[in-house]
Amino acid sequence: MTSPAVSITSLRHAWPGAEPTLDIERFEVAAGESVFLVGPSGSGKSTLLGLIAGVTPVQSGRIEVLGEPMLAGKPRQRDAIRASRLGVIFQMFNLVPFLNAVENVLLPLQFSPERRQRLEAMDRDGPAEARRLLRELRLDEASLTKKATDLSVGQQQRVAAARALIGGPGLVIADEPTSALDRSARDSFIALLMQECSTRGTALLFVSHDETLAAHFDRKVDLGEINRAGVTA
Amino acid sequence: MKPALLSLAWKSLANRAVSVTLTVATIALSVALFLGVERVRDSVRDSFNSTISETDLIVGARSGAINLLLYSVFHLGDPTANISWDSYELIDTAPDVSWTVPISLGDSHRGYRVVGTTPGFFEHYKYGRARDLEMREGRAFGDGREAVVGAEVARQLGYGLGNEILLSHGIGEVSFAEHSDHDFRIVGILAPTGTPVDRSVLVSLESIEAIHAGWNTGAAPRAESHGHEDGEHELMPDSVTAVLVGLDSPIRVLSLQRQINTYEGEALSAVLPGVALSQLWRVVGVAERAFFAVSVLVIVVGLCGILTALSAGLNERRREMAVLRAVGARASDVFFLLILEAMTIAFLGALVGIVIATGGFAALSPVLSGRYGFDLPIAPGWTELAVLGGLTVTGALFGLWPAWRALRNALVDGLSIRI
Repeated sequence: MTSPAVSITSLRHAWPGAEPTLDIERFEVAAGESVFLVGPSGSGKSTLLGLIAGVTPVQSGRIEVLGEPMLAGKPRQRDAIRASRLGVIFQMFNLVPFLNAVENVLLPLQFSPERRQRLEAMDRDGPAEARRLLRELRLDEASLTKKATDLSVGQQQRVAAARALIGGPGLVIADEPTSALDRSARDSFIALLMQECSTRGTALLFVSHDETLAAHFDRKVDLGEINRAGVTA
Repeated sequence: MKPALLSLAWKSLANRAVSVTLTVATIALSVALFLGVERVRDSVRDSFNSTISETDLIVGARSGAINLLLYSVFHLGDPTANISWDSYELIDTAPDVSWTVPISLGDSHRGYRVVGTTPGFFEHYKYGRARDLEMREGRAFGDGREAVVGAEVARQLGYGLGNEILLSHGIGEVSFAEHSDHDFRIVGILAPTGTPVDRSVLVSLESIEAIHAGWNTGAAPRAESHGHEDGEHELMPDSVTAVLVGLDSPIRVLSLQRQINTYEGEALSAVLPGVALSQLWRVVGVAERAFFAVSVLVIVVGLCGILTALSAGLNERRREMAVLRAVGARASDVFFLLILEAMTIAFLGALVGIVIATGGFAALSPVLSGRYGFDLPIAPGWTELAVLGGLTVTGALFGLWPAWRALRNALVDGLSIRI
């Protein structure tokens, strides 16, 4: 039986000197499932993603990502899980400015031997896979070797998606990745991301405050409903 | 994980080419200055400590070792007294003494010391690693009024072979008591040695004696009592200023030194030139250490450029660091990325500095050795290697502060990107 992509039990989190931001009794994303997490800004979305990604240590409760617990006392282990099994897409400024599109996509491979091994197991070579992903995400040939800063915002988000997906992570978390895009770019971005995730069986946790996007996903969850500390800050 | 960070550091620096190049250039110049000072310092010390070599003892009237060395070899200051010719002959005929070269000082030519000596001086005076004096033009002086001038004397006064010069009594630039009726003809010009010999006019002991004949009262003789009918060959000096002594066996040096120092017939001092030179260097070497300290400080100032170069962009790079964290970089990777950048800047600076310094040495070395007889080694050696390694490590230390700040930012920011 495959473990759920995300499993949260009795999670509580408060930033130093502030009221608790999160108090979630139970939240789960099944393997391969795409979940739309909606909530107004300031509802603790970014905090939750930081906890799931293992960048912020868990204070109380338990988070498992793809069956592995994100333990507060083991920052290196959390970093390793993120490096090899998670893809992250931000709202904007996703890329390292002095690297080109392909180099940005290759970054996770450099921090994760497991992603490299998974590619090798599929008999694929990193740069070729990066180019293939970028083409699938409709990045034109000339932009492949452009510096990140020379790409349009829409292109940057697609490069970020390719980077999140390279080496087959089990879960991609996306934090308002479309808020900087116009309507048509937004729809095609979501369509492409969904398609890539579903063909690979990658779970997707997509966070946004724009409820009109919810229809694209398997399930919609309102953070305000599951978060008992959900006081708008 | 290391190679990934190295290539990231490199690309990140390349992205900030202008400010990085300026920092590298600052460090390179400070390193070149440091290496220049070091190289010259080493060469000066070597050349100083071998101002005179292969001479086992210097004998003069009783005085301190440094004083005796100063007036006999460096021609600085005046002897307290002379050595009688009898004592000289006693030393010359002592067992185990292989050779002696007497030296008589007291006259000058336009501010340059005149050294009365024997032709043996050209054979036995050695400097550096047993290097011989070399005649650039002409030959050694003979019996008559002939002079051999050092390289600097010839260059400064524009002398060539055949020029006639006048010797003055005393050592001032302007002398009121010239031996005006005694012209000396230049028959030889020495190659540069980087020793006080360059600033000397060498003449035979007998000719010195001849021009002083009749000066016993301490003033120039009146014409009628100043005859030359005795012939110069029979003029034997009553005394000499100092004697350079070479022995057959170096084992005997200390016992001969003791014998001379305890000789009851006359108050004499015998010193070992090497020992006296290193004592003297301890005195003059203070300036050398000051140079060293200043050039080290210049490097530190250069390295401070690393702090500027790395700290300046740190706030703008918080997003970049968050991205790196998101793709799996540990907080410590962010720290080491900054350290690597600092090390790369320092390494490049040191490397370019070594290239500049080596090029400079190659350009200057022929000039220095031609004019001053001063050997400046060109090829980079252990010093350069140590500077390269040392600077790279020190660069890492200078990267600690910006790296620590980046690490703290990364931990505070997490995945949130401040816009």
